Amino acid sequence: MDYTYFQISEQSLVVEFPEQINVEENKLIQSVARELIADNAVGVTGVIPAYHTLTINFDFDLTSYNDLVNQIDEIISNSNDQTTTGRTIIELPVCYNQDFGPDLQDVADFAKVSVDELIKMHTSTDYFIYMMGFLPGFAYMGSVPEQIAMPRLEVPRKKIAPGSVGIAGAQTGMYPVESPGGWRLIGRTPVKLYDPANPVLKYQSGNYIRFKQISEQEYADIQKADANGEYELNVITEGGRNDG
Amino acid sequence: MANFVKVIKPGLSTTVQDLGRPGHQIEGFPESGAMDKFSYKLANLLVNNHKNSASLEFVLVGPTLKFNCDSFIAITGGHVDAKLNQQPIKQNEVVEVQAGSILEIGQMTSGNYGYLAFSNGGVISQPVLDSRSTTLRTQMGGIDGRTLATNDNIPIRDSVVMPSLQARKIKVDFQTSTTVHFVKGPHWNMFSEQAQKQFVSQKYQISEQMDRMGYRLTGQPLDVPAKSLLSEGTVFGNVQITRDGSPIVLLADRQTTGGYPVIGTVIRADLNKFVQMKSGVNFKFVETDIQTATDKLVEQQRIINDTYEKWYANRYVEPIGPIRRNSIEIERLIRSNK
Repeated sequence: MDYTYFQISEQSLVVEFPEQINVEENKLIQSVARELIADNAVGVTGVIPAYHTLTINFDFDLTSYNDLVNQIDEIISNSNDQTTTGRTIIELPVCYNQDFGPDLQDVADFAKVSVDELIKMHTSTDYFIYMMGFLPGFAYMGSVPEQIAMPRLEVPRKKIAPGSVGIAGAQTGMYPVESPGGWRLIGRTPVKLYDPANPVLKYQSGNYIRFKQISEQEYADIQKADANGEYELNVITEGGRNDG
Repeated sequence: MANFVKVIKPGLSTTVQDLGRPGHQIEGFPESGAMDKFSYKLANLLVNNHKNSASLEFVLVGPTLKFNCDSFIAITGGHVDAKLNQQPIKQNEVVEVQAGSILEIGQMTSGNYGYLAFSNGGVISQPVLDSRSTTLRTQMGGIDGRTLATNDNIPIRDSVVMPSLQARKIKVDFQTSTTVHFVKGPHWNMFSEQAQKQFVSQKYQISEQMDRMGYRLTGQPLDVPAKSLLSEGTVFGNVQITRDGSPIVLLADRQTTGGYPVIGTVIRADLNKFVQMKSGVNFKFVETDIQTATDKLVEQQRIINDTYEKWYANRYVEPIGPIRRNSIEIERLIRSNK
């Protein structure tokens, strides 16, 4: 796979792959990112994998741009021999209704289907997490069936409730904290996705999210159990290697 | 009883900061950490702390604090007229503080950010995701993820008497400048030649919209590339050009990823003075290359490293053996008679 390097500052560089939204390409970026932050990578202070780029921050007292370039070349050439078949799927309960998802009817109309069919379409795909960004726990995921890929709102909402699940073109994702935003909201998860008191996230880039439809009663039950620390997300591991 | 400083007045926006949590950007957490890293490191160096010890960062107006234990402190960054028990104290040097003392930092007369470091490890609040830095937007780190409030108790450690610390001071010229150096960004070539020329020839000012997340600049708008981008990781000092053609310089609390084209990145050696620039002051962007930027940063760090070496060579060494026991006993007696 073609890629280029760009030194963006004294202590950071970007590895740039072809500009596209592609699971295989992104999986390679994720695996390079994780290999670099593993214990054996000297001088790497942080990595940010995105759709088609990998940003790497380093400490030039411990490593150099050239050393890192060589190291990344080696990781990429080795990774070509491996087949990554494993998938980690996190099942996320979502209640789809007009209160939680004020754009539910609009998206159904856009797709020319009933609300029930829309929900079926949204829950029938496992979504790959290409990147985390914008806010802690905000996962950029794709791709939704083309039919329901409705563009963002013209004017973003000022306040979106935490847990809201939305669509923005081919992307889908959930708002972990209250924030402004322009995604089309179709439902909400009762699970607390970000807790400042315990900010360890429940999923990471490279994982898959599977949305599961729940009733309003189940929403209330899960929310209560989750608040008491008695709810655990269903995590499904498929295939040999557990690396997404 | 735990040792702490009590907040009498919190100042305008005082937070606990260290070097931030760059290792968690992969999960979407902002890097955070001190805005002016040179001044922050200097404060820690003065009081003999590790370079990642947490300090208080204050903005424009500093806090008033009461100490319940002995400490040594250092104040660095923008200029303030600080007072200890109503007596003026100097910046950029170590000041001994005794339990019961009141430190008033007050109004800043130059710059935007100041640092207050405490000896014996700095602020020892609970680290969150490997850092004590406060990130207000995500309500994490520091004191409950927020700015200091009246009556907060900021945990610090009692400090033993260290005569060698008292002589420590460093001369720092508070730098002001009308130029800010940058290296070309990954999307430089997406801008028209005319926009590139305009970026380096026109005067910019930092607008009133300035915070730890970023500084929005004012100037004649640039022509923006028509092509839209997929979001990419951000770094400290990235200059993004937003849709209306005006730049935002991304700083400590920036979001981890962004989708606006990055025309350049302010070099690290200039970022410290850049974050201290007042809004409305004119400046120009001047292009440089990575090698020059790196040399400048190494030179800046050498000031800190050389000072450390010098002080380390002259450090106070506690006596050993029976003499040590006697000295500890003498110290105890002195302290109990205070």
